[in-house]
Amino acid sequence: MGTATGIIKALNSGVKHLAVKRFTLRYPEQKLKFVGDGYQFDPTTGVGIAGYKGRHMLFHDKCTGCQLCAIACEGVAEAIGMVKVQEEWKHNKKAIMPQIDYGKCVFCGLCVDACPFYALYMTNDYELSSFTKEALIYTPAQLQVKPYVQQDAEIIFDARGATHG
Amino acid sequence: MATQLPPGLQLEKLDERIMTLNVGPQHPGSGHMRLIIKVDGDYIVSCDPDPGYVHRGEEKMAEYRNYIQNIPHLERPVIHDSCNILYPYCLGVEELLGLEVPERAQYLRVIASELNRCVYIQYWLAIYGIFLGHSTMFMWPAGDRELLIDLLEKITGARVTHAYFVPGGIRNDVPANFEDMCLKRVNYFEKRIKEYAAIFYDNPILISRTRGAGVLSREDAIRLGTTGSTLRASGVDFDLRKKEPYDAYGELDVHSDVLKDGDSYARSKIPWLDMFESCNIIRQALQKMPKSGSVRVKLKPNPKGGNDEVYKRVESGRGSLGCYIVSRSKPEPYRVKLSVGSFRNLICMPYLLKGEKLGNMPAVYWSLNYWPVEADR
Repeated sequence: MGTATGIIKALNSGVKHLAVKRFTLRYPEQKLKFVGDGYQFDPTTGVGIAGYKGRHMLFHDKCTGCQLCAIACEGVAEAIGMVKVQEEWKHNKKAIMPQIDYGKCVFCGLCVDACPFYALYMTNDYELSSFTKEALIYTPAQLQVKPYVQQDAEIIFDARGATHG
Repeated sequence: MATQLPPGLQLEKLDERIMTLNVGPQHPGSGHMRLIIKVDGDYIVSCDPDPGYVHRGEEKMAEYRNYIQNIPHLERPVIHDSCNILYPYCLGVEELLGLEVPERAQYLRVIASELNRCVYIQYWLAIYGIFLGHSTMFMWPAGDRELLIDLLEKITGARVTHAYFVPGGIRNDVPANFEDMCLKRVNYFEKRIKEYAAIFYDNPILISRTRGAGVLSREDAIRLGTTGSTLRASGVDFDLRKKEPYDAYGELDVHSDVLKDGDSYARSKIPWLDMFESCNIIRQALQKMPKSGSVRVKLKPNPKGGNDEVYKRVESGRGSLGCYIVSRSKPEPYRVKLSVGSFRNLICMPYLLKGEKLGNMPAVYWSLNYWPVEADR
């Protein structure tokens, strides 16, 4: 192939893309769709359930304060600390529950794997930025709230290429 | 006698014609490392790579954490190839603990690691493109990579640091309509990477820039111990997926491409050809994979290995990646050593850059498929 034809072919390949749809996700307006409600773990079978590893969700009616999540996190990020809670539960005599520092968390999900009581799951919430370090520390009361996550865009394929809808 | 200063800091009396250039460690063209280059006019007289700026002590950290807790931090050296860097560690721990991986998990591991290889190569290709001033080749791979990242996110739950492989299988099974989703994306991805030929690989401007730059002969490639795409671009057919098949690779038909030139162009073409092969492997694995079944062996808490040691290696995006684990009957490994492809390819940099023009430095440097963070561990 000659130099001139090669350059014309390269230019032509670029020009063809004027007709191809734009692939970019327009982020704050559009947000990606996820599968499921987030990463979960089934301790009876020892296998997880596929989902996004975002902010945690703590079920106060199941947490026994056994600290297994904090022990699992010890060698990874040391993001989980056990704190006193005001609630009184029969299954949680010590009244301690995990508090998670998202300034340290690496979102590996090993704490979810460690929980034998189905008390700790992960959700699709990924917008956790804040102006202060203190606001990144989520107390058990904050972890109890189920987040609302906007999910509207998905990659679609058609004759003119892939787009985010 | 004066104390010996490290290289690059010595006050050397040089020939008046020779000038020392420090490329890096902040320079975007060198990654997190420094190249001490001596130039005579426009020609490089000698090159002394100085890695170690992003050393994190991963191997030492591994001695204080148990076999499961090691997973998230061992994938940090190459976060966009995280399945492949965990692969040899998981294979090693499985042999130490005597675990049998379920068949479905073996195939899903192959699929995840091949997807991850494509993600890595696309990222590498984007940087190789922008190094050579080809900004279209930065935008296209960076965009197409998103297809597979999105797929991996749906499987593993994270965009880059997946922490998906564990000793004994994988963390979770794939979502419901995974096979259709994967096939659709891989087919579209293959169609897209074919389009790179006209604009990049067959482009006469790129060919004149990279052909003949930094030629590594077959003998030198073997003698210097290079691996991966650098070795295969010099005409040595060595691919661990084929030579020492691990997991489900033994049942799949793997064909890896070999080029004879050994120059920067050949080294940059091999990873691109590898992506087509990865697409083939994924399609084969999707066909042969058992449709249901267990994906993970149940582990005891804090599993202990015996008094044993094990060495396992896999083919990563940058070549052979080995992991040597010594166990002393404790929940923590006694020693974990990573033998990475990046560091082995770094060694031939002084040989390749000698006598090259300074302008060819980026073309040779990044074609070596070198990742600074992985080399430093």
